[in-house]
Amino acid sequence: MANVFSGMGQRLRQAPRWTFSLAALVLAITFPLLEQAGLMDTLWLRLGTRTLVYVLLALGLNLVLGETGLLHLGYVAFFAVGAYTTAILSSPRLGYHWNFWAIMGLAIAVSSLFGFVVGFPTLRLRGDYLAIVTLAFGEITRITFNNWESVTNGPGGIPGIYPPVIFGWLVDKPIEFYYLLLIAVVLVVIVLTNIKNSRIGRAWNALREDEIAANHAGVRSMGMKMLAVVISSGIAGLAGAIFAYYQQFINPTYFIFMQSVIVVCMVVLGGMGSIPGAIAGAVVLDMTPEVIRQVFTNWLPSALGPDFLPQVQTAMQTDFDRYRMLLFGIIIVLMVIFRPEGLLPNALWRREVHEEDPREAEHTRQRLFDFEEGHKDLEV
Amino acid sequence: MSFDHVFSLTVSGITVGMIYALIALGYTMVYGVLELINFAHGEVFTVGGYIAATTLIWAGIDTTTPLWVKIGYFALAIVLSVSLTAFLGWLIERVAYRPLRGSSRIIALLSAIGVSLILQNSLILIYGPEPIIMPTSMVPSGFVEPFGVRIRTLQFVIIGASIVLMGILTYIVKSTRIGKAMRATSQDMEAAEMMGIDTNRTISFTFVIGSGLAAIGGFLVAMYYGSLQYDTGFLYGLKAFTAAVLGGIGNIPGAVVGSLILGLAEVWGVGLELGLLAWLFVGGLAIGLYFQLVRAPKARVGHISDEARTPEYEHKIAGLYRLAPFTSMRTILGERKDALADVSARHAMRLFSGNVVLAVFAVMFFMNGDVQFASKWQHAISFAVLMAILMFRPSGILGDNIQEKV
Repeated sequence: MANVFSGMGQRLRQAPRWTFSLAALVLAITFPLLEQAGLMDTLWLRLGTRTLVYVLLALGLNLVLGETGLLHLGYVAFFAVGAYTTAILSSPRLGYHWNFWAIMGLAIAVSSLFGFVVGFPTLRLRGDYLAIVTLAFGEITRITFNNWESVTNGPGGIPGIYPPVIFGWLVDKPIEFYYLLLIAVVLVVIVLTNIKNSRIGRAWNALREDEIAANHAGVRSMGMKMLAVVISSGIAGLAGAIFAYYQQFINPTYFIFMQSVIVVCMVVLGGMGSIPGAIAGAVVLDMTPEVIRQVFTNWLPSALGPDFLPQVQTAMQTDFDRYRMLLFGIIIVLMVIFRPEGLLPNALWRREVHEEDPREAEHTRQRLFDFEEGHKDLEV
Repeated sequence: MSFDHVFSLTVSGITVGMIYALIALGYTMVYGVLELINFAHGEVFTVGGYIAATTLIWAGIDTTTPLWVKIGYFALAIVLSVSLTAFLGWLIERVAYRPLRGSSRIIALLSAIGVSLILQNSLILIYGPEPIIMPTSMVPSGFVEPFGVRIRTLQFVIIGASIVLMGILTYIVKSTRIGKAMRATSQDMEAAEMMGIDTNRTISFTFVIGSGLAAIGGFLVAMYYGSLQYDTGFLYGLKAFTAAVLGGIGNIPGAVVGSLILGLAEVWGVGLELGLLAWLFVGGLAIGLYFQLVRAPKARVGHISDEARTPEYEHKIAGLYRLAPFTSMRTILGERKDALADVSARHAMRLFSGNVVLAVFAVMFFMNGDVQFASKWQHAISFAVLMAILMFRPSGILGDNIQEKV
């Protein structure tokens, strides 16, 4: 039995990388079709759409946190800028109704510019100081949106955002937004994979590993860090724009500090510096709580009779968000203590965090070697 | 704008500042020893306040209870809250930080964020999201009238208690064996270990002391505002951290000075009319101009090496500061052969832009002289202070010994 499984694992590891990507893509494309065929509740489609927004955010943050090693705790501010740009330019609030493409371009440009303006003074700081400053900046952004009533309508938010028209197609159903987001995710993944495997990506990794050594090897820290921040805030702006269109209503409570923390959790859970990791982290963290809730309130009662653990059912119905955040906290602490490299780690990072354990380091080195040697032999 | 108003605002500012100081001391001591931002410290503070408030609610005191019973319960609340919170601090260090010692700082900070989430949501699960209300009969409700201004007795109680606690802390750090061990550990952990200091025990003790102080801070806040909510500690923690950075992190007197400045800035900023605030900015501008025109050029001219020192060169370096935007910009954009001139030009530009910002604020406030800052911007003030201090002078007002790590 054990042999069967180890053989399977080996075969899985030997399969080329693109088969996994293809499988994930096919899964993502067929997911909403289940709903169309009536096999699945609409709830799951909505959840899937939200998950894709988080996937975009996790991909963007991964660039800063995972690739470049900068802990950015105000990431949701860029998301907010993108969302508010869209909401202001495409709603009855100030009477504008701009074209979809113009808004997309502007949302990405404005949030990138915002990233540049904020990055310029803050990126000189390192480590946890940067984290605190970006946190403060994220809160200031939220407070500003909350108080700037003449434009953003303050805590009341901006309702009635017009649905976008893309090439004459009115996008207003959840499934259409799902595919719109999926296209955005695929494009972003392609762009990020290319950057990651280029000179720029290697420069980012060098900065993460050892900034001084990287500088001496000719990497300009400021420029490279700025590039990472600008690209990632552009991605957040894109996510925010689509999110605003999809929600049709935004207010400052969507952009609280907790959202930044959730995205950080996703990147850490998935594995810092790994694109499949960021996607997996977002999917797992966003889907799992809902799955657990459905198991206890819907599936188990319908399978075992409606009187199945009624207290648990009510607790799941009412207090679930609190358990969710508690769960997030526990997940972060356990992850950083026991598996800091994440679920789908990137090989370099894994080697780095396990450096002090010689056995583990040896194992990883062996795996890296195998990886480079074309997966010749994985038995250690 | 009367004297009464300014005076009572000032006392409020000092009160708030003292509470920040109690929390900031925990941050700064932990940072001094471990170089870790104990992000969960704000939540530890809330837990302390909750424990004290729960004890007093459980005691069920009303106005008819005799005074000595009240004092007894009061002491019980303090003892319970300090001891349990200190235990919590010890536990957090043991479970969430010690296994990560030596790993990267980002990892440790993430663990701290996780702990803070766990504490906040445990409080919600136990007490619910509504604020916990202090029994009013336990809060000193009198007033005193120095200079004819009515001020709550409680404010003086808070200020007095904080000063006493800081005195005790100073004694512990300066004059006891464990304080010596703390100072040694924060200077160089390895060397301290070689000298036979049990660093693990010292670090645990630091957490215990910091958490105990935060617990008292939480109790005082609960008395001062009458209630406490599960997320109160998040904002207080951030502001206290700001105060610690403002004074120079790792520096104990710095934490107190920074907290007082921050408390006053917040209360004045919200309560004073802008015209009066503008004068503060004018004062700041005067100090800034003094630095740009007198102090900084003098210090920089002192850096010129002996073989390069000529009157013309001294004049050039000083001129970079005194004619900041013009000559400095030309130097930054132009030739980069002269390292000293290059560094001076950048420094001069930073000072100059700081002064411009101060001047802009002063003019803006003078133009809207009789308006007050709405209190909804209160939190933004401390965040802005935090960003400014980290960008322009990360070592804080009184300086720290760890600047190169920032």
